[in-house]
Amino acid sequence: MTQPVPVGSAGYNIVLEWLYREAALLDNMDFTAWLDLMAPEIVYEMPTRQSVYQKDGEGYDPDFGFFAESHSSLETRVKRLQTDQAWAEQPGSRTRHLVSNLLVDRLADGSFLAATSFLVTRIRSDLPYDFFTGQRRDVLRPEGDGLLLAKRTILIDQTVLKSYNLSIFF
Amino acid sequence: MGQLGVTEGGMTGTIDIARLVDQEGGHVARRIYTDPEVFEREQESLFRRAWGFLAHESEVPGAGDYVERQLAGEPVLVIRGRDGTVRAFLNSCRHRGMRLCRADRGSASFLRCPYHGWAYSPEGDLVSVFAEELYDEAHLDKSALGLIPVTQLDSYKGFVFGCWSEETPPLPEFLGNMRFYLDILVARTPGGAEMVGPPQCWEVHTNWKFATDNFTGDNFHLYTAHGSIAELGLLPPDPMSLAFGNLVQAERGHVLHVVPGPPIPEAEYFGLPMELRPAIEETLSPQQAEIARGHSFSVGTVFPNLSFMQVMVQGDLRSPPTPFLSFRLWQPTGPTTTKVWSWLMVEKEASPEYRKATYEAYVRTFGPSGIFEQDDMENWEECTRVNKGAIAQRYNLHHGMALHLPPDTDFPGPGTAWPGSYGERTQLCFYGEWKRWLTEEEPWA
Repeated sequence: MTQPVPVGSAGYNIVLEWLYREAALLDNMDFTAWLDLMAPEIVYEMPTRQSVYQKDGEGYDPDFGFFAESHSSLETRVKRLQTDQAWAEQPGSRTRHLVSNLLVDRLADGSFLAATSFLVTRIRSDLPYDFFTGQRRDVLRPEGDGLLLAKRTILIDQTVLKSYNLSIFF
Repeated sequence: MGQLGVTEGGMTGTIDIARLVDQEGGHVARRIYTDPEVFEREQESLFRRAWGFLAHESEVPGAGDYVERQLAGEPVLVIRGRDGTVRAFLNSCRHRGMRLCRADRGSASFLRCPYHGWAYSPEGDLVSVFAEELYDEAHLDKSALGLIPVTQLDSYKGFVFGCWSEETPPLPEFLGNMRFYLDILVARTPGGAEMVGPPQCWEVHTNWKFATDNFTGDNFHLYTAHGSIAELGLLPPDPMSLAFGNLVQAERGHVLHVVPGPPIPEAEYFGLPMELRPAIEETLSPQQAEIARGHSFSVGTVFPNLSFMQVMVQGDLRSPPTPFLSFRLWQPTGPTTTKVWSWLMVEKEASPEYRKATYEAYVRTFGPSGIFEQDDMENWEECTRVNKGAIAQRYNLHHGMALHLPPDTDFPGPGTAWPGSYGERTQLCFYGEWKRWLTEEEPWA
């Protein structure tokens, strides 16, 4: 049973502010603080997508993706980015995580299901923009007086990534 | 080419390819990675003549199942017929040339062109055209208007290869001794290996040869390109500890390395699960089994652009070293652009637990998001950008490591093996073969 959380309601605004603050941490490359927002049991995944006829569905493969992360592997990624030799991010990318079209539902256990559209831009060096668009489906669960991200499914629109790597978070 | 590797000759006009690779001296001209004329020559002399990987049979399990792939830059439909045979056709209607099938994968009982409705069977026969009563016999011979088949098609242990040339020798001959090594990777259990899910695909602004060069068995980039991994403590602290093993030229441009891991049973057989090991011993020949037993890592390339990696990695700081097997296709889309296709493979006999572990190990370390591979692409893109420069192109690139070492005659596998896995022998074998295909009428002779 899910209960819609109306746009503009208190619950909606709590989720919205959480998402904005999370995006700011990513854009500011404050990955240590970002990691604190992840629940210990987090499932963070980005399925691959293929172009298929509509009768065959959306083309996502739930079992094979670009990310299949646990808290420990996210922590490893963060620690790696903080070394001096993570060349993909040395010097660092400039990213903008634009998060919009938020719809929130409340799950029976009190968690929030937050669906958003995203536009992530990245610039490295003086190269042209990389653009990533898609939908995020997040499960945010209450913890203390805040929320932790328990699950994030990133549904990317590109079937062939028009970018040479995914050294950033979504 | 001189000692300093300065490229001689004009800046424009027809390139003398033979001068761009100096196998003896260990030099390669930078323009092979950037020049549009070199790219055109490659397309004509290499990719439209050599055998190229299309798909694995496990990707089209049922009748009518298809995937769309590229062969020498042209769209190819790989489809299993109702008779169970896998075929490959140019994905183009015979009427106006329309791209017939426009999905990356799917299943069809017949293929109907979206433009004027010509329809083909999964076996490639033209079965009907729109308003057929308006043609006379002289103007419509359906039996001559089937889909255009890939000129030569064959498969090896489930790997379907195609070739656009009639003159090129058959696939078994083209692969030669590389089959011995491929078996160790993909045919080491009775069931063999299958693809896990669809390929990851992404675009890199690099020349395909930088990726291939890396996958000819470049083991000595680990401690700098992947210095972050060493910093995290996920590589042995001594940068020379992975220098053991062999560089191997299986056959012509087909090359690989094999590298031992730590001297513990877990690291034998590439770290594969214990429950699979008896089957491996039984399935492989004694020489193949000896190689599997003694090594944890093998990276190589089936000439020209199908690479593989069988490695043991830690997907995160708390996971044990876990093996995975990935195949790569480096598809050139322009002089300085490459589409990468990356598949994960696993034994058909593998347990669900191992499938999950090997998938996580792969996706966390390799592919576009992998903590190893994100840095590789940074290197290949920057190499490509800088090597475009006219001044840069006055100076050749250096491939001279461990060329003085004589072959290791004790190595149990066929081909030529050299001692140690740090060296540039295999790169030079690859570039030498590349030069042959671009300059010789019968490079296979």
